[in-house]
Amino acid sequence: MSAVKTGQVRIDSESDLVLVRKVVREAATELGFGLTDVTRIVTAASELARNAYIYAGGGVLDWRTINNAGHQGIELTFGDHGPGIPSIELAMQPGYTTGSGLGLGLPGAKRLMDEMEISSEPSVGTTVVVRKYLRG
Amino acid sequence: MANENISVIKIGDILLVTMPPNPDDVTISLLQEKVLTNLEQYQSKGLILDISLVETLDSFFARTLTETALMIRLMGGRMIVAGMQPSVAITATQLGLSLGKAVAALDVDRALAMFRDGDSQGSLR
Repeated sequence: MSAVKTGQVRIDSESDLVLVRKVVREAATELGFGLTDVTRIVTAASELARNAYIYAGGGVLDWRTINNAGHQGIELTFGDHGPGIPSIELAMQPGYTTGSGLGLGLPGAKRLMDEMEISSEPSVGTTVVVRKYLRG
Repeated sequence: MANENISVIKIGDILLVTMPPNPDDVTISLLQEKVLTNLEQYQSKGLILDISLVETLDSFFARTLTETALMIRLMGGRMIVAGMQPSVAITATQLGLSLGKAVAALDVDRALAMFRDGDSQGSLR
């Protein structure tokens, strides 16, 4: 049983999105995910980090390796102190966007990962947690 | 960090643009500018965007690609996206991304052939 690995990336500027992708790619690869799953995880992370930057002006990614009933995986938590999501249901509809993006980030991240939890409070902030487990 | 240059090469009346492996937002936005400026300058009839080195294609990148493809189309040209990595293709499909007006080719060689064939048979739409 390997020790829990964790890390944090502050998302303060556009260039931090590149750092998020780099850090997540390294962490996922080291954990043993195959290339396709690494790509899924990094892409989901890119979408969620971008959301925090665009809608909240910035945020934080906290990542850690997890072990759920013997299943090893990675957990990414994106937290921000932005305006919050008024309707999570609406936000999860593909194509729905209050910005100028494609509106695929949240529902896309959910499809790419195994688990996703969103908690948000208007004027307080939003936290999105996603997890993916190693197969086999 | 990853603010590498996009290389633009003119091959006859086609532009070949190669994206670096991990472009940041500025580089991705620069792609559009560079492409359109070069297209206009050289009166190229098409663009082959080589993304074989790209490891992550998120919705921002995809939107820039489809926008660029539409712009090129409006200018009377064609855009072919070449060499998408399989893992990127799988992820893009799950994310619900599409290439818009751009067509895809497995690699640059095939993309060049498509432009040539499009010339003689008008098959490149």
